[in-house]
Amino acid sequence: MSSIPAPVRGAASPMTPEEKKVIFASSLGTVFEWYDFYLYGSLAAIIARQFFSGLDPSAAFIFALLAFAAGFIVRPFGALVFGRLGDMIGRKYTFLVTILIMGLATFIVGVLPNYASIGVAAPVILITLRMLQGLALGGEYGGAATYVAEHAPHGRRGAYTAWIQTTATLGLFLSLMVILSTRTIVGEEAFADWGWRVPFIVSILLLGISVWIRLSMNESPAFKKMKEEGKTSKAPLSESFGQWRNLKVVLLALFGLVAGQAVVWYSGQFYALFFLTSVLKVDGSTANMLVAASLIIGTPFFVVFGTLSDRIGRKPIILAGLLLAVVTYFPLFKALTAAANPDLARAQATVPIVVKADPATCSFQGSPVAREVDFTNPCDIAKRALAQNSASYANEAAPAGAGAVIRIGDREIVPPSGALIAGGHKFDEASGKAIAQFKKDVAAALKEAGYPPKADPAKMDKVKIVLILSVLVLYVTMVYGPIAAMLVEMFPTRIRYTSMSLPYHIGNGWFGGLMPTIAFAMVAQNGNIYHGLWYPVTIAAVTFVIGLLFVRETKDVDIYAGD
Amino acid sequence: MWKLILGFLVFAGGAMYLLSQGGDIDMGGEKHGVEAHEPASGAASAASH
Repeated sequence: MSSIPAPVRGAASPMTPEEKKVIFASSLGTVFEWYDFYLYGSLAAIIARQFFSGLDPSAAFIFALLAFAAGFIVRPFGALVFGRLGDMIGRKYTFLVTILIMGLATFIVGVLPNYASIGVAAPVILITLRMLQGLALGGEYGGAATYVAEHAPHGRRGAYTAWIQTTATLGLFLSLMVILSTRTIVGEEAFADWGWRVPFIVSILLLGISVWIRLSMNESPAFKKMKEEGKTSKAPLSESFGQWRNLKVVLLALFGLVAGQAVVWYSGQFYALFFLTSVLKVDGSTANMLVAASLIIGTPFFVVFGTLSDRIGRKPIILAGLLLAVVTYFPLFKALTAAANPDLARAQATVPIVVKADPATCSFQGSPVAREVDFTNPCDIAKRALAQNSASYANEAAPAGAGAVIRIGDREIVPPSGALIAGGHKFDEASGKAIAQFKKDVAAALKEAGYPPKADPAKMDKVKIVLILSVLVLYVTMVYGPIAAMLVEMFPTRIRYTSMSLPYHIGNGWFGGLMPTIAFAMVAQNGNIYHGLWYPVTIAAVTFVIGLLFVRETKDVDIYAGD
Repeated sequence: MWKLILGFLVFAGGAMYLLSQGGDIDMGGEKHGVEAHEPASGAASAASH
């Protein structure tokens, strides 16, 4: 720890070795968080086969709901639990506990017997571990941001905390290296059988290093001083959320900063990839390379914008990122279509597709836990088939009671309806076959009309694609680079951990985490492949307006003033 | 600083190399929907991201 109190040191002084250690130790936890996040994405199919394949449909659905809750309810709850602890007993011990829980839970997944070995106990334990991870994750980011910011000299908080924001890319690359190396060494078959456990098990090394470094760290000087003076909060939750003066700032942090940041982040990092693979039909390996290249180009800008925010302010950079996203998302994603799949762009422009149906027979498709069998109306089946084929279509209202029909150019196809059996968990044989045949007919008609089943690699303009993706990542760095410093500066030391953690996790978990599902549902509902962009554009626009009107600039705030 | 940049580039280069050798992997992050528990679901591709 620096012998010079952090807030007193000049902004121009170089980073001390102790400060570097603080940043490194804090960032390791968030690397862990992202490493986990990508492992569960990459290995989802294998984990499902290992732990859920023996369950009956009802039990599988309950576990799906619980896993959904782990991501969206448990994390904000963790923000409350560990935020409170962090404000009462200290930053150091709290985020030592969060990383221990997170790391041990990850490790145990790697050695957990599967369904074939211990039956239903396997998914129960897995979900419990996921819940524990979610709980710990809720406390990790707020702890890391607070800890680093409270060690940073005044005028350098943006630069220091921005390093934490680079860990999403590091976590992704680390997971890729471990998974792909293991897969290459043990082979595909062994990887699916037992090799998938290796990335979880090796995380114990990351945990060991993190705990060892964190144990050697000191408490944040701001918290230490407050504790010595007996000024720590006795009830951080009621102080944070029970008093309008602070609750107002929490709400502003959520609706004037984090909500927009989250949708821009998810759009640049995930929706762009989803759009390339699922909408533009670029093969997965090529899309991964293109996205990884853009992340390499964009990642240093987290630090650039974090540092810049110490000079010109956090607010102008974050708001500029939001505004640029609002104004340019539609043209950028259209340019992405033209660069990645020009045949699709041409077909969409020349062969119109129409779904004609009685609007009363078309249902909402936005449930995040919806399954294929939840859509049995011909209208829904038609829309899902087209959405899954990335075909833009227009909706035409048919008279009440009339059947649905898809028109692709001059050709008309009538969608079937689905009849369910097994307590509503399965299509009966006849309707299952009819739906499969219908999907084949739609795919054939689309192909005939010039809609390519896959993007042609020879026609892709890869340089242009990387350029567009890099611009999307650049927006991410603008909104995300300075945000940790800004959130820290919005709240007093005594309730900082609690107050900043909750809006961060609600914003990123709910507004961001649901973005892909909502965007897909909007596309399926409306028919236009770009329609889903209205979700991030609207949220970013609302956040921009609230941020512009009500959020104060914080770069010059003395974070010790209220202590 | 140059050490960090070099380290990042070597690290990222390693990941890119492995991706180029067989990078058919889901980089879409953790799944929260039903697809994570339905290995054979046809809905997986549509709603998973």
